[in-house]
Amino acid sequence: MREPIKYLFIWPAFLVVLLIGLFPLIYSLTVSFQSARLVPPRPPRFIGFDNYAALLGEERFWQVITTTSGIVFSSVLVQYVIGFAVALALFSRVPGERLFRVVFLFPMLMAPIAVALVGRMLFHSTVGPVNHFFTVLGLPNLPFLTDANWALGTIVTVEVWQWTPFVILLMLAGLQSLPRDVYEAASLENATPWQQFWGITFPMLLPISAAVVFIRIIESFKIIDTVFVLTGGGPGISTETLTLYAYQEGFKKFNLGYTSALSFLFLIVVIVIGVVYLAVLRPHLEKRA
Amino acid sequence: MRKYLCATASGLTVALGLSGAALACSPDFTGVTLKVGSQTGPFIASAMQAAGESWEQQTCGKVEVVEFPFGELYPKYLTAMVAGEASFDVITFAPAWTPDFAPYLSEMPEKIRGTADWDDIAPVYRDRLMVWNGKHLSQTIDGDLHTLSYRLDLFNDPEEQAAFKAKYGYDLAAPATWDQYYDIAEFFTRPDENLWGTAEAFRRGGQQFWFFFTHAASYTNNPNNPGSMFFDPETMDAQVNNEGWQKALEDYIRSVGFAPPGALNFSSGDIRTAFSGGQVAMNFDWGDTGTIASDKAQSQVAGSVGSALTPGSTQLWNHKTNAWDSFDEPVYSPFMAYGGWQAAVPQAANNVDASWHYVEWASNPDNSGQAAVTGGSGVNPYRFSHFTNLDRWLKTFSEEEAKMYLAAQRGSLEAPNIALDMRLPGYFSYTEVLEIELSKALAGQVSPKEALDTIAEEWNKLTDEFGREDQLAAYRSSMGLPPL
Repeated sequence: MREPIKYLFIWPAFLVVLLIGLFPLIYSLTVSFQSARLVPPRPPRFIGFDNYAALLGEERFWQVITTTSGIVFSSVLVQYVIGFAVALALFSRVPGERLFRVVFLFPMLMAPIAVALVGRMLFHSTVGPVNHFFTVLGLPNLPFLTDANWALGTIVTVEVWQWTPFVILLMLAGLQSLPRDVYEAASLENATPWQQFWGITFPMLLPISAAVVFIRIIESFKIIDTVFVLTGGGPGISTETLTLYAYQEGFKKFNLGYTSALSFLFLIVVIVIGVVYLAVLRPHLEKRA
Repeated sequence: MRKYLCATASGLTVALGLSGAALACSPDFTGVTLKVGSQTGPFIASAMQAAGESWEQQTCGKVEVVEFPFGELYPKYLTAMVAGEASFDVITFAPAWTPDFAPYLSEMPEKIRGTADWDDIAPVYRDRLMVWNGKHLSQTIDGDLHTLSYRLDLFNDPEEQAAFKAKYGYDLAAPATWDQYYDIAEFFTRPDENLWGTAEAFRRGGQQFWFFFTHAASYTNNPNNPGSMFFDPETMDAQVNNEGWQKALEDYIRSVGFAPPGALNFSSGDIRTAFSGGQVAMNFDWGDTGTIASDKAQSQVAGSVGSALTPGSTQLWNHKTNAWDSFDEPVYSPFMAYGGWQAAVPQAANNVDASWHYVEWASNPDNSGQAAVTGGSGVNPYRFSHFTNLDRWLKTFSEEEAKMYLAAQRGSLEAPNIALDMRLPGYFSYTEVLEIELSKALAGQVSPKEALDTIAEEWNKLTDEFGREDQLAAYRSSMGLPPL
């Protein structure tokens, strides 16, 4: 039975969602087609796709995309491998497993800015314990935060330290949901633990693995605080990420039109990566289904 | 009779109470709450808080100091002022931001100017940095310029003196030129003793470019061409890639070799720690190195902190002749790095009168004088009276240290060729490209010449984008030059 009154109740919620969810996006999209600056103040002027063209033609934009992608893919890969391995260990009820479960979660519970500060102290060139350890061994001080390659490695390390617990948590939940009878059947067939892992555990956890990696990729693309505290994007712009670049343009230079365009290009990059990722995984996931 | 006495007593009590209240609240700002924006403390925020407490007792108003990380201040202030929001009654900020903030700031009331307290402020602040386009829009609340600090225990050691003279052929003393600075830095660089020659800030986002500017001022702030350090004041062409700047960048990169390991990640805070921890023989910095290193509670070299002007140069680049001008004696060009914190009142403030009264209160000779000698306040001398009351300084410094520190600060302030920091609309756009290219040059990714050429090209592009005529007028104003 059709009751028109029900639309009356739905409309307010619909409008609120529209205002909160879509208006900022539409507004930002509009600004991305304008030359709008707060500093020095310039009245908005429609310039079509000029902001997008300028960005795509800028070497710095492509470099920050490359840097961000490098940090994201390498850190997520390591997080997944270590996270999965630790989850398997915890699932196997190693001694002290309950304590580990709690302790492993600590980094994830900390604010990224605090984690980055811890990282900065650990890898400090003169007072940091990591370099101190190397000095004790008679090795030279390593430029963890001042050489481009070392700095990228340090950022990846800090990311892995903070976010591997997230992978552990979800993979452990996945492991606990697996049916036991499959493993019992495999044991009867004398399948080795290695065969059980590749033949049962890994394929059955593929959907959750895909989801975990996808979430981490999307989240990692937003990285800013760790980089800001550890290196400030330097040396030069060798560790600058997309979000840090957007922050510099938007909140230091107040180049609003340019920053809006940058935000939408950022969105497009993430969507493209997401689509490609799901397209690559789809055959495997469908096979599982 | 009893009733009469009681009534009289009650009347007197009320009258005395009222007059007491009137005395306590002078002027009376009861019910007024001022929101004062500051960077996260203790630097500056603690000074504003301390001034706020005494202001509250004096006026019965309230002061709420709202703190933000330094990097957040500029966007927070600007967005609030552009939107016309009364988020802040008083803002504390860098002079370099004045050009961007100027359209939204109220002018300092006339009654604050022309008093004895007003004349007590060093002219370079009072008549230059507190002024924009002929209007007093802000009040200096901290004096900032770079001075040299050096270890007296090392420099006065007869064995060190003899060894230095034998090696370099002249007496060991505070360096008068940058060549001497590098001789001394080289002499004291002894990794096996955990001692290095100097420390400077090299980290992108760690006050790096002000240290580079101090080097550059010595070679480019030519007294024959006032205001030509950053741009040609006739055409607004960037000067940052001329030979003077190139020499400065080569020097700045050279400093890395005499600094402790990992110095490329040093910000100004790190170099203070390096000096007060006895890790380096000298550094140059804002006045904070002096106050921290002289404080026994914070320093291992307390009692041995010498101060001097930053080195000068006998050769300065002349952009008009495209050649070096030679001078018989070193020309000192102390650089007003950052230029000190300033306080201003946005036009949108809830109570402009009360806000300016608080600003005047916080910066009066007594309150500012106390803040200047309080370690961690972040306030360095900017009034003449700050230099005259030696007793205040002796709470932290030894007498020798205090005299040298004040002489260096005052000598820098009164140096005829003092160099002003860059103040331009779009300041962050200019300094961002500078920081990026400096970092690349320091990391060896590009040569000094390549870095400076890129900066000059980008600065010229920015100038054109923002409007060359407008930027030229703003630059000339910031350098105290008359309009063309």
